[in-house]
Amino acid sequence: MQTTSPVLPPRNWRFDADLLRRYDRPGPRYTSYPTAPNFSEGFGEADFRDIARRSNEDPIPRQLSLYVHIPYCQSPCFYCGCNRVITRDEARGRIYLDRLQREIAMVAPLFDRDREVVQLHLGGGTPNFLAPRLLGELVGSLGRQFSFSHALDRDFSIELDPRFVTPADIEVLSAIGFNRTSLGVQDFDPAVQKAINREQGVDETLAIIDACRRFGMRSVNVDLIYGLPKQTLEGFARTLDTVVAARPDRLAIYGYAHMPRLFRAQKQIRDRDLPSAEGKLALLELAVQRLGDAGYEYIGMDHFALPGDELARAQREDSLHRNFMGYTTHAQTDLVGFGVSAISHVGDSFTQNHRDLPSWEAAVDEGRLPIWRGLMLGNDDVLRADLIQQLMCRGEIDVRRVEKAYGICFGEYFSESLAALRPLQDDGLVQCPPGTIRATPRGRALLRIIAMCFDRYLGVQGEGVRYSRTI
Amino acid sequence: MREQPLKTLSGTPIADDGDEFTFCSTCAFSAACLSEGYDKSQLRDLHVLVEHVGPFREGDHVFREGDPFNAIAAVRAGTVKTYVNDASGREQVLGFFLPGEVIGLNAIASSRYPCNAVALDTVTLCRFSFPMMATLASRMPGLQRHLFNLLSQDIGKASLLSGNFTADERLAAFLVTLSRRFAERGFSPHRMRLTMARTDIANYLRLAPETVSRVLRRLQDEGVLKVDRRDMEILQPNVLDELAHHVLRD
Repeated sequence: MQTTSPVLPPRNWRFDADLLRRYDRPGPRYTSYPTAPNFSEGFGEADFRDIARRSNEDPIPRQLSLYVHIPYCQSPCFYCGCNRVITRDEARGRIYLDRLQREIAMVAPLFDRDREVVQLHLGGGTPNFLAPRLLGELVGSLGRQFSFSHALDRDFSIELDPRFVTPADIEVLSAIGFNRTSLGVQDFDPAVQKAINREQGVDETLAIIDACRRFGMRSVNVDLIYGLPKQTLEGFARTLDTVVAARPDRLAIYGYAHMPRLFRAQKQIRDRDLPSAEGKLALLELAVQRLGDAGYEYIGMDHFALPGDELARAQREDSLHRNFMGYTTHAQTDLVGFGVSAISHVGDSFTQNHRDLPSWEAAVDEGRLPIWRGLMLGNDDVLRADLIQQLMCRGEIDVRRVEKAYGICFGEYFSESLAALRPLQDDGLVQCPPGTIRATPRGRALLRIIAMCFDRYLGVQGEGVRYSRTI
Repeated sequence: MREQPLKTLSGTPIADDGDEFTFCSTCAFSAACLSEGYDKSQLRDLHVLVEHVGPFREGDHVFREGDPFNAIAAVRAGTVKTYVNDASGREQVLGFFLPGEVIGLNAIASSRYPCNAVALDTVTLCRFSFPMMATLASRMPGLQRHLFNLLSQDIGKASLLSGNFTADERLAAFLVTLSRRFAERGFSPHRMRLTMARTDIANYLRLAPETVSRVLRRLQDEGVLKVDRRDMEILQPNVLDELAHHVLRD
């Protein structure tokens, strides 16, 4: 879903309403650098095959992360900006799975078998649109054509809509191999749920969270959204209390981005039902306080975790990484994406599958890899991507290490970026002592803004590129 | 936006400061030639050409097995792999050649190249060519002797393959010799770029590619070295030397 990054002040960062108000401007989420709008349609199947072959040839080829996109949803949530297909026809899921199998059969052989899969993620749409039996078929198929890691810390996660899954299903999912779940909640306030067309009971949700625990899911994540129509401080406070009491290991709190011209479903949301900019900020501040009081730590961007959660631990130990699937403890893997719109990151390249279902289907049916666009990172891209990773995961850039590793003089090479940083320095978002560029506690809430100073592609975007606001 | 080198290895670059009359300051052939009394213009008179050729792109062949032999060449930039195809047509890797090292030496005693040489990345060479092998043997025997000396160093590298050594020992010997060769060129002995694919390394050492990675992963877990993509850093050279000891016999 199209969202913005909230600001949460854990012990190492602060909520500054004034700053947030002033820096509420559109910007990328940097799940990749360069960002997807910069991918080119000239990059296709032959390039991907070549890149996959090369990636096998490293002395220690990188381990693999797999992503599968299931675009179907039974019911449209009005806030959603995702690429999805609304249907109640289960047969379509079966048909989609058949094509996925064909895509997997084409792609899996491109990667050497001693490259273990340490991460698997199912996203969408609604992954549990596919019945557990079909999900089992999917994972089984991947497991036969790739080498799944047997390590205890492997990350096999699935996004779930709690309205369409039962505790019995959770048991099956666990047996299939999933060990993490992410549940959509958004808000429990009935008025809000009606306005966004997502009526989801507290009890049924808590039952699913409980089932996840009972059947061995290592961690549960809950998604919430602030800034939704009809949302009030009182209502959201109740939601927060309910969720916090269930003590999910992780929480993601997204800001609703109202862009009905881009996302047709959002036309069903009335402007006048939306909180004002001030109201939205107040909702965020409330969430920040409640989560902080409940002991949650801010990982970065929209994510929070309990101190014992491995993301929080990784952050403390400076071993946190970030890829398309968000924050992760798994260092540097190559990512292979399957399904409509899925993105892959292999070697120094990105590729994205067709975003519309018919094109994806046609390619698979014709025995072609369903790649729509992509790009090869140049040296400058790799360098900047490294900096942005550092910012997103550690809140700071180790200038000396960068100079040494890349053989550059930072001040000279990044003179434009440093100039762009100066107003941020004046506003107290960032500090630049010798050898470092560091986000202040208030700046950690606005990492995207800092990252934008190093994004060479901003300002040279093609038409029609829209980013959500950073608040 | 100017292109910057992604990761730089400090070291003396192979110079390009010669011309028709003078050798480049880092020329691989100048010592041999000058010690026999041949400067560049004298070589020209004998129809011996010393010239920079390339760039060869990854996959381009520098010479193929069976081609008439008329030149040896020093690598100026990039990496060259030599190989033959065995009776069943399978590739057998013979060796890797780094900047400053000379290819084609094993052809000096015959009239045809006994193997294939292919560029593993972007390669430039300094080609030392002579139209007739006889010229070298009869007119410049001293020079030929010097070049044969380079050849004997080359043969030494092949000792890794004979003998009953474990995968660990072979890999360690490979890395240690690479490290020494880099050091000789003025590059760091402990940080290097493995331009050769793991299947090539495996083939050369008569190991399976998975074994190469397994051994490297173990050495990495033990803190002996660190690998990131093609970049390798040797953290505990003594451990590697110890492992390589039996193979290298030094």
